[in-house]
Amino acid sequence: MSSHQAVDTARRHQKPVYRSTSLPTSSPRGDRPRRRRKFGHERRRVALLLLAPSVVHLVWWIGIPVVATFVLAFTDYDILAGTVSFNGLDNFQEIFGDPTWNSSIWHTVVFTFFTVPVAMAIAVVLALLLNVKMRAAAWYRTAVFMPHVTATVAIALVWMWMFEPRLGVVNTMLSWVGIDGPAWLADPDWALFAVIVVSIWKGIGIKMLIYLAALQAMPDDVYEAARIDGASQVRQFFSITLPLLKPATFFVLVVSIIDSFQAFDQLYVLTPDGGPGNSTTVMTYEIYRTAFKEFNMGAACAQSVVLFVFLLVLMLISRRLTGKEDDVR
Amino acid sequence: MSADQLSAPGTAQAPAPVARRSARPPLTRRLPRLALHLVLITVSLAMAVPFFWMIITSLKTDPDLASHPPGLLPRVWDWANYPEALEYAPFGTYFRNSLLISIGHTALNLVMASMAGYALARIPFRGSTVVFMGVLATMMIPTYTKIVPQYLIAKGVPFFGGNDYLGRGGHGWLDSWWGLIIPGALTPFAIFLFRQFYLSLPRELEEAARIDGMGEFGIYARVMTPLVKPAIATVGLLTFESSWNNFLWPLIITSDTELRVIQVGLSAFQQADQNAWAYLMAGTTLATVPMVALFLLAQRYFVQGFANSGIK
Repeated sequence: MSSHQAVDTARRHQKPVYRSTSLPTSSPRGDRPRRRRKFGHERRRVALLLLAPSVVHLVWWIGIPVVATFVLAFTDYDILAGTVSFNGLDNFQEIFGDPTWNSSIWHTVVFTFFTVPVAMAIAVVLALLLNVKMRAAAWYRTAVFMPHVTATVAIALVWMWMFEPRLGVVNTMLSWVGIDGPAWLADPDWALFAVIVVSIWKGIGIKMLIYLAALQAMPDDVYEAARIDGASQVRQFFSITLPLLKPATFFVLVVSIIDSFQAFDQLYVLTPDGGPGNSTTVMTYEIYRTAFKEFNMGAACAQSVVLFVFLLVLMLISRRLTGKEDDVR
Repeated sequence: MSADQLSAPGTAQAPAPVARRSARPPLTRRLPRLALHLVLITVSLAMAVPFFWMIITSLKTDPDLASHPPGLLPRVWDWANYPEALEYAPFGTYFRNSLLISIGHTALNLVMASMAGYALARIPFRGSTVVFMGVLATMMIPTYTKIVPQYLIAKGVPFFGGNDYLGRGGHGWLDSWWGLIIPGALTPFAIFLFRQFYLSLPRELEEAARIDGMGEFGIYARVMTPLVKPAIATVGLLTFESSWNNFLWPLIITSDTELRVIQVGLSAFQQADQNAWAYLMAGTTLATVPMVALFLLAQRYFVQGFANSGIK
């Protein structure tokens, strides 16, 4: 260990440690100040004091709750008496015997299956277009990104008004082309579709931004070499740009799926109480309903565990596909 | 007059790059550009439509709203909707609550996360790596894997809200400022970001300060932290934004109208009064405009932060 440190220190002395002020993404073991015996004790005490509030907070509000979710999933928690008793797999039997929960899993998958790929396709096209050098690019980028910054609840209420069957903009515009629009959010066949449209609209911005960052990090010399070899623009796009976008695509995919599985705000606002005929209940809404309307904490934790397993499996699959390059993220 | 009109677009195009060989490329070269702009303008407008519609609706009169094919612009610009909405529902209180909570979260997150990030980046001690790995692990925990016990912990804080020493009997931090502010006051991502920034500072600075006899805490607070202003801006803005937009936590732990934040207030208003669209849109405008303004003013930091976090 000490020899390692010595090598590290020597290497560090050779090159200046000044780095760019833009976001550094160095390895976890960056250049740490060398340990000095005299100051060691005081420094360690200060380190403890500086870390204490954060560690306490993280353990209190993340560490304990995560463990508790997995424990409570196997218990019967009486919220009024405050008593806990283990009941094995009863909670899981209970939730999987509930058709609403089972259909909520299906709705979550459908919601994700349509929201994520469509938003990603639009985002990658927009990123490619915005990567062209032009003065107005900043304006377009701002417009596309704006929905991501605004509150989901607030903007979902605007969409609710736009989806209003008689007076809303959506059906008015459809009537211009002679289509008699459905009642959207009140129609069991169309409610989930309407929520998906809103979610796509809201999700494009962040995906576009990640793609744009990837495009702008692409090396110019590869394109130059291709140009010298006489590759056409189309050929360059398919042989260079697309393969180089692969890591970004997987990253966006993972982040989007995780986000989409946890979508709640727009569903709660646009289609209250699980939507018409429970047509838009998703897993998050069911967890909310079980925990905070029925106060059945054990079953809610069991549902949380199921959602967690879904996310874990999806993350592991994408990890296999992307390799381990994004470890630090 | 007509000469003025003609010259106006010309002057707008005047500061063209000097290096360009001909003043204007032939039409065939400009056509793809034109198509590109056309596509991007269409998309940008489509993204912006809900925002326009929100503001326009908030300024319409009731008969205007009820007219069957809705007019594009209000026939009468009814600015009185805003004061009326504020009187009709306590949007003012909601707004104030959101503001106080967002400021509280931002301040606490900046202090705690910068302290932890500094310790992890610049002070070697046993277990430093373990703590850092722990922080990374907490970053990856989905909201729904912790929300139910978080509620139970908030409900069971001892000695608060009528609770006994075991945290039983009362409502703890439910329906209280404590519950609204403390649980969301720290994000692991902020610690991570601060650590990355502190890592990039040169060691000579802290050594010079140490030789001058400055204490370790002084080095953190007065030498190193002023040098990571971009991190402070990024973390501060992202924290404020996500706190302002947060919905689920305030929804589950508050039932008192006095403690409602603006997002919960808007949702409750819509469910209680389904046809007061002008007032609702006035409230929605009040809830979105601060974020839009903040974003436009500090776009650089937002973009940097989002591109790195990926997740909200």
